[in-house]
Amino acid sequence: MNAPLKALDEMIRLTSPFPESVTVKDWKATGRKVIGWYNPYIPEEIIHAGGMLPFEVTGNNEPVQMQGAEAHMYSNSCSKIRTCWQLQLDGKFNFLDGYVSSHMCDQDMRLFEVWSYYKKLPYMDAIYAPRKRDEEAVKLYATDLEDFRSRLSQCLICRIPDQHIANSIKVYNRGRELMKQLYELRKRDRPPVTGVEALEVSKAAARLPREQFNELMEQLLDEIQRTGREIKKAMRLMIIGSDLHNTNQIANLETLDVVVVADEMDIGIRRASGQVDTKLPPMEALARHYVLGRPVDKHNWNSDGRLEFIGKLAEQYKVDGIISEIVRFCTYNGWDKFDLKKQMEKRGIPILELDLEYGHPAGAQVKIRAEAFMEMLETRAS
Amino acid sequence: MSDSKANGTNMVGLEEIRAGLKKATEMVKQAPGLMKSTVGYMDMVTTYVERIATAHDEGKWVASHGTQQPLEILEAMDVRGLFNEFWGVVLNLTNIDSVPEALSVSASTSTPTEVCSFFRNMDGLMHAGKWPRSDFFLYATSCCDNVKAFHTLGRRYGVPSFGLERSYFPYTTHAMEHWKNEYKRLIAWLEEKTGKKLDYDRLKETVRLSHRLTELHLEIDKLVAHVPCPMSPECYSGPLLAIRLLPGTQKGVDYLTDLRDELQDRVNKGIGAIKDERFRVMWSSFTPFFDPTLFNRMQEKYGAVNVCDMLSHWRGDPHWMLDPDDPLGNVAYRTVLAPGNCQYSNGVDVATNLSDKARRFKVDGAIFNNNFGCKTGAGYGPIIKDELLRQVNVPTLTLDCDVIDHTFISKAEVESQMDSFFEMVETSKAYKERRAEINKTASL
Repeated sequence: MNAPLKALDEMIRLTSPFPESVTVKDWKATGRKVIGWYNPYIPEEIIHAGGMLPFEVTGNNEPVQMQGAEAHMYSNSCSKIRTCWQLQLDGKFNFLDGYVSSHMCDQDMRLFEVWSYYKKLPYMDAIYAPRKRDEEAVKLYATDLEDFRSRLSQCLICRIPDQHIANSIKVYNRGRELMKQLYELRKRDRPPVTGVEALEVSKAAARLPREQFNELMEQLLDEIQRTGREIKKAMRLMIIGSDLHNTNQIANLETLDVVVVADEMDIGIRRASGQVDTKLPPMEALARHYVLGRPVDKHNWNSDGRLEFIGKLAEQYKVDGIISEIVRFCTYNGWDKFDLKKQMEKRGIPILELDLEYGHPAGAQVKIRAEAFMEMLETRAS
Repeated sequence: MSDSKANGTNMVGLEEIRAGLKKATEMVKQAPGLMKSTVGYMDMVTTYVERIATAHDEGKWVASHGTQQPLEILEAMDVRGLFNEFWGVVLNLTNIDSVPEALSVSASTSTPTEVCSFFRNMDGLMHAGKWPRSDFFLYATSCCDNVKAFHTLGRRYGVPSFGLERSYFPYTTHAMEHWKNEYKRLIAWLEEKTGKKLDYDRLKETVRLSHRLTELHLEIDKLVAHVPCPMSPECYSGPLLAIRLLPGTQKGVDYLTDLRDELQDRVNKGIGAIKDERFRVMWSSFTPFFDPTLFNRMQEKYGAVNVCDMLSHWRGDPHWMLDPDDPLGNVAYRTVLAPGNCQYSNGVDVATNLSDKARRFKVDGAIFNNNFGCKTGAGYGPIIKDELLRQVNVPTLTLDCDVIDHTFISKAEVESQMDSFFEMVETSKAYKERRAEINKTASL
């Protein structure tokens, strides 16, 4: 049994209770603003450069009853947006001074407009998230980013200068680099962290001031090196699909003789991928990174690269199988299912498909399916 | 027995649709009491299908596509459009059991049942080899994320695809320039695929015809707003279909001209869709495709006439011909404003347009299809409901349904909900006031 990681415990302490954590309270106590952001096409660097705390709007480890939210968005919409809206209706995000989203998927924008309509915050903004990955898409996105910077500056009554953005890029690049190092360590035959621990790290990245997160990440990596921590499990799994924020979903899997060593989620590996080019003008560099610099994701129309990325990850992290979990009503993941299965079959990687409600822990039924999947993997291995 | 039945399937292919439409047109010609333009409507739909069926023999191409498309460009390049959503509708006209079966085939390929049934229908038919042969798939950013399916299905079945990227906020200079530039890229892509250069004079002509179609649509809109409503259910879909299927064609213009003239005649003579018009309804889509008989039953049972819908309107000022010498710029603007494309916007914007429409058409109640696979509707439906009530005091009935799958909700369930809805509307103060106003105007 490994001892808990002190740096991770500190991350969890600082981001608890969710969402209005001790960190958020301390931040607000100094008169500074907190801006909620919703999906990975919002460059946190710009918010950070304005001296505000970027805070990812999500659910967490407790499932949320969504009856109130369903008065404003019908139950055939994605349960992640309904969860977030319910939390807002319950007053959990009252500490936010603003909220920014992007048209990465239509449901994200519907959450944005429901929020704007029923409970408007002093600052609310949206940008477009290009579906293509080419120079024209970079240009389109770059112009939207400039508009975003202008409107956010207006809210601050102070122009956010290039120099501040350049500094923030360095801070966030450091964070990506440290997270990447943790991912590299998970490639080991005996990874130093469980999937649950890795997910908690990713969540903290979007809930703490990035400088503070970076410090804790350095401590975490140092701690791992000093203690020689190893997770001894028979099987290695990768999680792909919709973003998870309820770590109990992974914890339930890891009660079996299995460890999650990799993921293909916006909250996970994409957050650790690439570096913003510090040689370019900062706004252009951000646009290039967010459109081209990260692995292809589910919202890109041409998802060939996403399927290729998943296959490569599975090989690099030597996984025995993949669990594809899709939050019901996720259109993008839905349309990749068929080809994903075919391509993984070609690579000889077994895949278990689970349709879930966002935030709800994997129940007995899911566990039974996971157990059967493990048995199948064991039979294959033997 | 149709070929499909003989093959043990309900899924219909192109040939069965052609035969079905021929038969339906004959029936319409014999049926008493319909608007004259019903035959024209059937003729327009038949023409659309025939253009697709005969394209390859005539040396032309077929592009299956989604919304936001610059069909005027395709027309000028001998590429015939096949709107994938409309195909689900035309199937229901031919065999109402085709869609459920195609959806079942789609599910068997592991496509989730919660995504849009228009696209699942396409998925199932492609898997079964029943989708018309397409040379290209064309799609664009819209409120509908399902357009990703064009790339996915293209990859699976070897059909080249091209996506047009459109900003969420369309009216800024850079957004319009980008959108226009996307058209240039589409043209270059099509020129490469077809080996044929775009003739810009021909494009100017298709744009001119498309603009004429817009003008006719606006004239028709004004006529349909009359009390009593002169438009009967059998022709209701005509204007939107002409705009969405055949812009840039003489056929579309001819059909809407005839329809406009007939409606004008009916208005002059005071002829309404029914004798005693009791309720004026705004439906969310232009026809409840899952039950083609529903409009008639609604008229007969409740005296409720569908006078307008939530799709067939132009967003903002519809005069999109800004510069006759810039056909691409005009088309780019048209597609942003066009009926059916306007949901790619926020719910309050949509609801404000609809409230204005409810005022103009003197609507008593709205019926919103909460289409199971449509996340857009699930997201903005409640805002529309709340805004219609707040801005124009119009209540909304929300029907949980699948717009093309008749097995999702029973006729009895729909009727039971409508019974309560119209009873509630009739007893409301707003309805009584609206009726009193209409009667006062009529007696002047």
